[in-house]
Amino acid sequence: MLANQTTVQHQLRPEVCAPVLEVEHLTVGVPGVGAIINDLNLTIRRGEVLALVGESGSGKSMTARSLMRLMPSGISILEGSVRICGEEVLSLPEDKFNEYRGARIAMLFQQPHVMLDPTCTVGAQAGEALHVHQHLTAEEEHERVVQLFRDVGIPEPEERMKCYPHQMSGGMAQRVMIAAALSADPDLLIADEPTTALDVTVQAQILQLLDRKRRERNLSILLITHDLSVVSAIADRVAVMYSGEIVEQGTTDEILHSPKHPYTQSLIHCSLLQADESGELYAIPGTPPELLSKIPGCRFRSRCQVAEKWGHPEVCSRVAPPMVEHGGPGCCARCWVGASNDIQAQAIRICQTELEGHRDGC
Amino acid sequence: MPIFILRRFAVLALALLVVTFLVFLIPYIGETDPVRALARARFGRLDLDAATIEALRLELGMHRPLIVQYLDWLRSAVTGDFGNSYMSREPVVEQVWSALKVSVVLTLASLGFAFAVAVPAGSIAALRQGGSFDMATKSLSQAFVAVPEYWLAPMSILVFALYLGWLPSAGWRGPESVILPALALSLRPMGYFTQVMRASMIDVLNSPHIVAAHSRGLSVRRTLIAHGLRNALLPVITLFSVWMAGLLGGAVVIEVIFAVPGMGRLVYSAIVNGDIPVLQAGLVAIVTLAVVINTVTDLAYTVLNPVVRIDNATA
Repeated sequence: MLANQTTVQHQLRPEVCAPVLEVEHLTVGVPGVGAIINDLNLTIRRGEVLALVGESGSGKSMTARSLMRLMPSGISILEGSVRICGEEVLSLPEDKFNEYRGARIAMLFQQPHVMLDPTCTVGAQAGEALHVHQHLTAEEEHERVVQLFRDVGIPEPEERMKCYPHQMSGGMAQRVMIAAALSADPDLLIADEPTTALDVTVQAQILQLLDRKRRERNLSILLITHDLSVVSAIADRVAVMYSGEIVEQGTTDEILHSPKHPYTQSLIHCSLLQADESGELYAIPGTPPELLSKIPGCRFRSRCQVAEKWGHPEVCSRVAPPMVEHGGPGCCARCWVGASNDIQAQAIRICQTELEGHRDGC
Repeated sequence: MPIFILRRFAVLALALLVVTFLVFLIPYIGETDPVRALARARFGRLDLDAATIEALRLELGMHRPLIVQYLDWLRSAVTGDFGNSYMSREPVVEQVWSALKVSVVLTLASLGFAFAVAVPAGSIAALRQGGSFDMATKSLSQAFVAVPEYWLAPMSILVFALYLGWLPSAGWRGPESVILPALALSLRPMGYFTQVMRASMIDVLNSPHIVAAHSRGLSVRRTLIAHGLRNALLPVITLFSVWMAGLLGGAVVIEVIFAVPGMGRLVYSAIVNGDIPVLQAGLVAIVTLAVVINTVTDLAYTVLNPVVRIDNATA
């Protein structure tokens, strides 16, 4: 009830246009067992780069796979809505949704080498989306792939098209994947850690390439990463994910410079790689909870160092915080601490009623 | 690529040299004394005096050093001359050649049928893992692997030849006489091929590049054909070549039950009769074929899997 009252609609930047991707209350998990991704809300506008950050196992990649409807077997979408350019896609049958994959919504992966079929030339693979969605003749398709390869910075495209994946470097393979993903001119690119497996200089080139494509085609990008320097380089907005939930969302500037959620603060602290007085590097204490486990209250509670300092730590352990506006407009976080006095008062009241109910029950 | 092929051929030649030497040694290490075997065949009795035996030994050239005899034997063998059969007195090569033709037909018919059934069956079972088709395929392939040929062959004769009267029960006359033995011979490899195809297709379907292909909008069927089949076929091709080499060497049980004059029966009766020239020529043919099939499989591998191709060319 409280969640409904206080969930804040993401404040939209006035200068950006229609949303390309709208995700509402997306819950993904094992039917009958539990959720891996819980009540996820995201909006990406045309030409916008939204970074989804968080540590390994927080559900970032699962979010990407769910949006493509390519979850591992056993995992399914339990509820929610996903709209691409205003059209609801979760209810579409598989063959209808295939018309979206590659054409409207495309994906880049972490390890380009294993994502390419070793027995098939890279040219053939890069032309596949074109072949399926645009019904070109073989010559037209070849021509287009040559252009695409040249466009993403692959030298000697005619020659390289005949190569097999193992004959290419990681950076070149990722360029092939980008060419393949962008070939049918999608509206949204989901890039799942596209630079993590590459060395730093190549990383920068790939990010530049993605940024250029975004500007040239007004491409929207959901960039999944755990690297905050990548975030600061190209993202407009950031969503921070922890244990299957988005815990904070806001503009890149706000998130990186004045994070509200204790988890975001710890994450940024970690990324600075600064040693404390004793010479130890900072690490967030503890480990994230099991993804499928049900936890009353805040999922970050057991590792949170802020809750203790707040006057009402019992509230954090008992009442799950909703996404509430923190500080500036468009910035919200899933944390009681730092929320407005009204909201805090409500939370404390709920907690007390619950405790009393408990006592009465006994 | 040419370097790779040349190297393969060098290995092939070496393997053949070693094997032919071992085959040549058979008369000297076996229990059958070749001289006595020949004497028995020629005179129809065993109690011969030492002079006759010695004369035969000279005639066979067995008094010369072993290596000279081997080179002499090899020189004739290369020109296709393995001597005459002790039993029929006819040139060995002709006997081996006609038996080989029969075995090739039988092998290709049975393995081709097994492959043609196993590849689609294994693929569909892998796609619908845990479904009813998968379950049916699993039980049938296990049954096929387990059923012994010496039971299956008489049963199929009983049903199709004696009861239904559709096909001849035995012999080797015309295409219809191939069907029953080929069918009986195909079930075991079919079971193995299906199981391997299913497992390897499941492996391939779980590999990341299949997810990437789906993400480009390829349908399940298209992904399977474009990116699944070629990868999944590799282990089945290997198994196929192993079975092919094995069956070309003769399927003794099936050949005996169906009275098929193939390599199995030829070599078997050569052993029983101590007909050493036939045995030697038969073994050389079998081994040569096995080695050649192995080489062809390696080459087929390089066509299917470019990773192997490049590694070998640059190494």
